[in-house]
Amino acid sequence: MKYHLVILGCQMNQADAERVQAVMAKMGYAAAETEEEANVIGIIACSVRQKAIDKVYSKIAKWNKWKNKRNLITFVSGCILPDDHQKFLKLFDLVFDMKELASFPAMLSQYGVTTPVSNFGRLHDEELVEIAAPASVAEKLNFAGAKPVSKVAAAPQTWEVEPIYNSNFEAFIPIQNGCNKFCTFCAVPYTRGREVSRSSADIIEEARQLVEKGYKSITLLGQNVNSYGLDKKGEELSFAQLLDALGQMADDSGRDVWIYFTSPHPRDMTRDVIETIAKYRSLAKQIHLPVQSGDDKVLIRMNRKHSMERYREVVGWIRELIPSATLFTDVIVGFTGETEEQFEQTRAAVREFRYNMAYIAMYSPRPGAASFAWQDDVAHAVKKERYAMLTGDLEKVAFEHTRKLKDETVRLLVRGKDKKDGYLSGHTEGKIIVRFPSDDENLIGSFVDVRIESVRPFSAEGELVTREVEA
Amino acid sequence: MQKRRFNLHTILEKRVLTDSSFVLRLERNGLEFTAGQHIQVGPPNGIHTREYSIYSAPSDDFIEILVREIEDGVVTPTLKKLETGDSVVVNDAVGYFTIDKEVAEGRQFLFVASGTGISPFHSFVKAFPSLNYTLVHGIRFADEAYERHHYEPSRYIACTSRDQKGDFHGRVTDWLTQNPLNNDTLCYLCGNCDMIHDVYDILEKQGVSSKNIFTEVYF
Repeated sequence: MKYHLVILGCQMNQADAERVQAVMAKMGYAAAETEEEANVIGIIACSVRQKAIDKVYSKIAKWNKWKNKRNLITFVSGCILPDDHQKFLKLFDLVFDMKELASFPAMLSQYGVTTPVSNFGRLHDEELVEIAAPASVAEKLNFAGAKPVSKVAAAPQTWEVEPIYNSNFEAFIPIQNGCNKFCTFCAVPYTRGREVSRSSADIIEEARQLVEKGYKSITLLGQNVNSYGLDKKGEELSFAQLLDALGQMADDSGRDVWIYFTSPHPRDMTRDVIETIAKYRSLAKQIHLPVQSGDDKVLIRMNRKHSMERYREVVGWIRELIPSATLFTDVIVGFTGETEEQFEQTRAAVREFRYNMAYIAMYSPRPGAASFAWQDDVAHAVKKERYAMLTGDLEKVAFEHTRKLKDETVRLLVRGKDKKDGYLSGHTEGKIIVRFPSDDENLIGSFVDVRIESVRPFSAEGELVTREVEA
Repeated sequence: MQKRRFNLHTILEKRVLTDSSFVLRLERNGLEFTAGQHIQVGPPNGIHTREYSIYSAPSDDFIEILVREIEDGVVTPTLKKLETGDSVVVNDAVGYFTIDKEVAEGRQFLFVASGTGISPFHSFVKAFPSLNYTLVHGIRFADEAYERHHYEPSRYIACTSRDQKGDFHGRVTDWLTQNPLNNDTLCYLCGNCDMIHDVYDILEKQGVSSKNIFTEVYF
């Protein structure tokens, strides 16, 4: 029996998919390269953009036609809005919340597919679940007023499934799910629910195993990753304490690993998070801090819950405590009601904060988000113009950073073949893309040193100096 | 137990305030919250919910929400039809529009609301009886001064834009322009976004730091 999984959307969906793949493998399913070969086809949906949802409808229409000719079971999970959920119930054989993942084999068995459900263990209702804290890690932790909790109430079952990682050198670890912020442009609170933190003991153990296996890059994931622990009201580590535990564990391992996190919310960012990143070599000196707009009134309309004064304070901590850190951000241009003057404030913010990278999006109303009901009153042509202007501003400030790399030797995690023939590419600790001439695919997944010879605003090119020496 | 599992809360009381607005008093069912936070509420058999700031105080053994019917809305017309004994779905309270007691000690507060945006202030006033506040409420007609007897008369100002039966005829922005603040005042603004933007501009001009302005946009 074979399955095929279509994954749409963000890194959280990627991480969820790795756990779905693990469940399928444990049921004895092999991954099929194409939909045509599969007996079970699933889709991890994304509701952030209409285009992604349209793709789900298009796929299921095709798959349902196939059912006239062959046996096929279809399922959908991921980020699904209530309206779409109702429609999917009629279109897919199975619709489940990722929190119910451990129950998925039982659901599939209702379709006559025998699965070793008992292997999945903890199928539970609303009971408190004992999760063993790994003594070796837990004993090392000595935080005043907080300790790793070993009991998690109603934690999503997806976290109990050991994932099959899609890479053998970089991995995502979900640490938090859901959102309490209710930004008006975003539907996540309606698809993933409230903020729930995963047990710190589980997170530390998963990270420890990855480090031991030689993973080079680990990214902690969450919709508001630095809201970690807040839902547990003092019964769980804070985000800074979690980073401290991970930094200590990784540094003590003697291995080289870069630990990242995404995405934090400026409102919940604390100085001790930045202090902790500065303290450990394994905590990567790259911070993604979404600003969305540089204008306070646009931020109010976006219901962002932070002001520019607050954002400025956080960036100040970063510059003070980790001067070498690269700073990335997200920006939306042309949000409902955004005036020329307000857009100019965003341009000023890009110049002020001198980002290394910004993911700039032209605003488009997202079904399910509060702003979907508002008039999308900034003309598309104006959005395009603002997008181009802001990209130009970004290029200038980013180039100031990459220019400094010229003739420097930087450490790189090689991630794969570059688009340019005969080149490999990877990124620095600060996630600056660098390519170098080499066709030695054995380097993929290892650290190398590269001397930078030419630079562009967001990337660089160089020559291989040394490759990682395996211990 | 089953109710808790499905987040169902029975309606204990329904107080009709105007033709289109009403207060629903719901079973508390152990729901924890801080004054100023909001919950998602929806009909029990529907798929849609909406966010409502909690109108009651954390010390009450019930939860109340203030609802204004949106005629072509998806949720409020159904909520309006519900009666005592019916149930609604309620999700956990969240939100950051709260008062830090330590910071608030001895401070002067300005609360500015439009329409049902008065809800969190109702909760604040019940939760902190000794609060030194002025509540400026922007409404169209005086009968929308929802349960004004719950506030000290000298602290509540109904700004009516379409009749002259309020305490002040005009918009909240007019009142604020005519009554400049001490710039050390902690200002809380709740309601529609346009009102919040206009008030924000006035407060900035009066020298209030953005650090002292807290907003909750109703959408």
